[in-house]
Amino acid sequence: MGRVYIVDEDVEGYLSKLCPQQAGPVTGLLIGQSSAQKDYVVIAAPTPKDEESAGKTVDKEWVSEHARQVSRMLPGGLTVLGVFMITDADAKDTVTTLRQLVFGVEKLISSEQQWSPAEDDVTDCVTLHVNPKTRKTVCRTFDIKDPKSTAKPAEWKYQSGVGSSWTTVSCWLNVDLFIPLPESRTTKGSAHKCLQEGLNVWTQQIENAVFLINGKKLPEDSELTSGQRRNVRQTYTAQLLTTVEEQRSAHVLQRCGGSVSVRGAAHCRAFLHTHKPKVKLAEKLLKRDAISTVATRVQMLLDEPLASEEQIKDTSGDKQQTEENCLPRRIFCPLRASGSLHVCDYQFSDEGLSEIVDRLKEMLDIDTAEEDLDTTQEMTAEITQSSFPTDPPEETNEELEPKRNNYIGAFMAAAAALLATAASMIYFSDM
Amino acid sequence: MSVFTQFPLVFPVFVASSLPLPATTQKIPTAYRLLSYLFFYFLSCASQVVADPNTLTMFRVKGSLELRCQLDSTEASHIQKVLSRAFESLRTQMKSESCVFTVCDTPVIIWPNKGVFEDISPESSCDDVLQRIQSDKPESGGKRATKKKSKKDLSSVVSLYLLVEVTKPGPLSAPVISKTVQKSHFLSAALPLDCAVRTHCKETIKDVCDRLVEALTQQLCEMEKVMLQHMKGTTLLIPEPLHFLLPEPKGLVTVIFPAGVPDKELETQRRELHQRFELSDDRPYFRRANAYHFPNEPYKDGYLRNPHNALTHPTLENGKVYMVQGIYSYHHYMQDRMDDNGWGCAYRSLQTICSWFQQQGYVEQPVPSHKEIQQALVDVGDKQASFVGSRQWIGSIEVQAVLNHLLGITSKIMFVSQGSELASKGRELANHFLTEGTPIMIGGGVLAHTILGWHGVSLQDRFLMHTMGWCGWKGPEFWDQTAYYNLCLPQRPRVI
Repeated sequence: MGRVYIVDEDVEGYLSKLCPQQAGPVTGLLIGQSSAQKDYVVIAAPTPKDEESAGKTVDKEWVSEHARQVSRMLPGGLTVLGVFMITDADAKDTVTTLRQLVFGVEKLISSEQQWSPAEDDVTDCVTLHVNPKTRKTVCRTFDIKDPKSTAKPAEWKYQSGVGSSWTTVSCWLNVDLFIPLPESRTTKGSAHKCLQEGLNVWTQQIENAVFLINGKKLPEDSELTSGQRRNVRQTYTAQLLTTVEEQRSAHVLQRCGGSVSVRGAAHCRAFLHTHKPKVKLAEKLLKRDAISTVATRVQMLLDEPLASEEQIKDTSGDKQQTEENCLPRRIFCPLRASGSLHVCDYQFSDEGLSEIVDRLKEMLDIDTAEEDLDTTQEMTAEITQSSFPTDPPEETNEELEPKRNNYIGAFMAAAAALLATAASMIYFSDM
Repeated sequence: MSVFTQFPLVFPVFVASSLPLPATTQKIPTAYRLLSYLFFYFLSCASQVVADPNTLTMFRVKGSLELRCQLDSTEASHIQKVLSRAFESLRTQMKSESCVFTVCDTPVIIWPNKGVFEDISPESSCDDVLQRIQSDKPESGGKRATKKKSKKDLSSVVSLYLLVEVTKPGPLSAPVISKTVQKSHFLSAALPLDCAVRTHCKETIKDVCDRLVEALTQQLCEMEKVMLQHMKGTTLLIPEPLHFLLPEPKGLVTVIFPAGVPDKELETQRRELHQRFELSDDRPYFRRANAYHFPNEPYKDGYLRNPHNALTHPTLENGKVYMVQGIYSYHHYMQDRMDDNGWGCAYRSLQTICSWFQQQGYVEQPVPSHKEIQQALVDVGDKQASFVGSRQWIGSIEVQAVLNHLLGITSKIMFVSQGSELASKGRELANHFLTEGTPIMIGGGVLAHTILGWHGVSLQDRFLMHTMGWCGWKGPEFWDQTAYYNLCLPQRPRVI
């Protein structure tokens, strides 16, 4: 008794389109949502072309890296369910490759995952083999929790309108993190460890938060709604109430070598496949999205080598050195013209919307235009004056942003600087 | 305790006694013990003292807020400035729209500063809220089922949690990450907030919530004071709120003490509190052990408290009832897996007395076990080393010696040559309960008891006592008229 994969017809059309393209195998990712009984696939994203491999062999690391980047672009509820491969090799011969691909993908994605896995999470991943000439598909699943698992047959069914009436739950989460850094800056690893611990504490708070839908605390097993018609798009606003863990002991001031603080708001969103979803599922997926979006962005920014990092070598002085950076803001893109599903991407302050469009095309093969992007959920943050008593804001922006070879980027930076000046003038006039 | 003298109640007869003689080997069945134990427990749930018509409900809110700050230097004035700023921002948070109260055991959620009341109307009275809790609460066993709904529990407490909402209506601006590199200090602590207000049954929930927000803000101010007061170099102590029930009309007061500091180092603070509340200087009111125990919180050690409260007390013409003051825990045969059936009654009486001193806050030592009691007697030279681990009886002299050695408590010994004379000692015992208020151990005949009260008019004196498996009022016929009795009257230390 295998799993059943309900796949959107658009995915079928897309896979067929990919078929006659080239001789070499085409790999990609299958994206959707799992549930206890069935799985729903809504996107098929091909692995981007890598200049070196030129489509001859399957580059497993590249496929995993693609998956890692793609999973950052998926809001709550959408996850990478598995991989597909279009090749005229026999289905039996590709089992091993597909198995390696899918285990590699899941391993890399789960290593980045900040939230704790739940007991009822589905641990099966799908591999799909498509024969380009006959269009025949062979669908198998592996249990990634079990390193010795073998392929189990699964059913692959096409259906229209999968993903057209998924329920959306969203909220704007106020983030106020304060993480002290270790005193000695000998190794970058210790700072990273501190950050991870600080993020873990915050993650715990979110996971233990009280979850409200439309202002009410509903029992876990009840449905978000009752008696709604099918095909009516439903959106709900959630609220989270948190508390801090009590400690009862004397507190000594701890020494530290500085701090990292993250303040602002993140828009969190999760999609639920049924039109009668349970509160428990909504809570789990929204909280995961909240944790992922903040952790991903902090990670993104700290991965970037900041230009001024090298300048900070002198630790003996007590001079305060503060850097402020805007975390990239979240932008949503509708998956199809109709339907409630969106994917997302992050826009750095020196990027323009065209870069988002390009990335969406490259990573997910989604064709979209700048005007279709939803940039209204998060506003670009303005860096405040407080930490730089003497430097005017426009210099701050340009000094600290990582350099990018992009004329449009420079233009956007200047525009952002102008906006920041205007904002700071308003700020001062208010104070 | 004076409440018992004001309300005339009917005197029932209690039987349930068992008098094991040392010669018998007959064991008292544990089922019987269990029955008598349960009997008292049901009684304590079901019986109510007739209450003041203006029944007061208590609303108690508990929660934690994070105090955090980064300090560039450890100079005292700088710490003070930064801490004050951190507390100021907490006070702002307290008054902001992200402050949320949830009522335990109900789906009621309240945003007091936004005026949003989920699942309840802001004009509901406190009575309504109590009814909600009692009807929404899931059935938790037979005890609740026997509770009479018509008579309200005098001390009903509504528990609320304080939470902070981290979501806001958007759209809002994306986060900014700020990295500071500088040698500094930081503090991150969870402040345990705990406020209680007494409300009248007709007060609306909206007013109560406003009062609670005010009380919490005030508590933050007091916490700031205590933290700064007890600051030593780079050690900052977490302020901890404790509630104390003072004699009427002062009622419940909340005091902030620094966590982890033992009672003996806080005497100055207690003295100041005694002065502020005009309390006598010879008995403690503000030791940690005196903290008010809310009725809806279980005792962690599982012992029964004041089982005599479950009894209805005698009424006699012109008679007054004098009782033990305060709280003690009931220790009896076969508890703590100690099989002292037949020989342990004086030990149990001693344990009850020790529990009284511990729970009133005079001592911090836990109630001693049989072995510890025996060892204490060996240590003072009263008994041979072989005494430890034996099943030998002790009397009032030994009780006096152990109280002195282990707890530093002095006691008076009263000797009664004949049981019939006991009635005449009534006045003295009444005086003891008035001035000392401690339980009395009486030994003689073939067993020992603890006397908790006296009620007397001429020949109809009654003693309230407990021993072995029961607790009840006994008249003069209870005593062996020809045997002699020794009483140990522990003296309360005159300290705060």
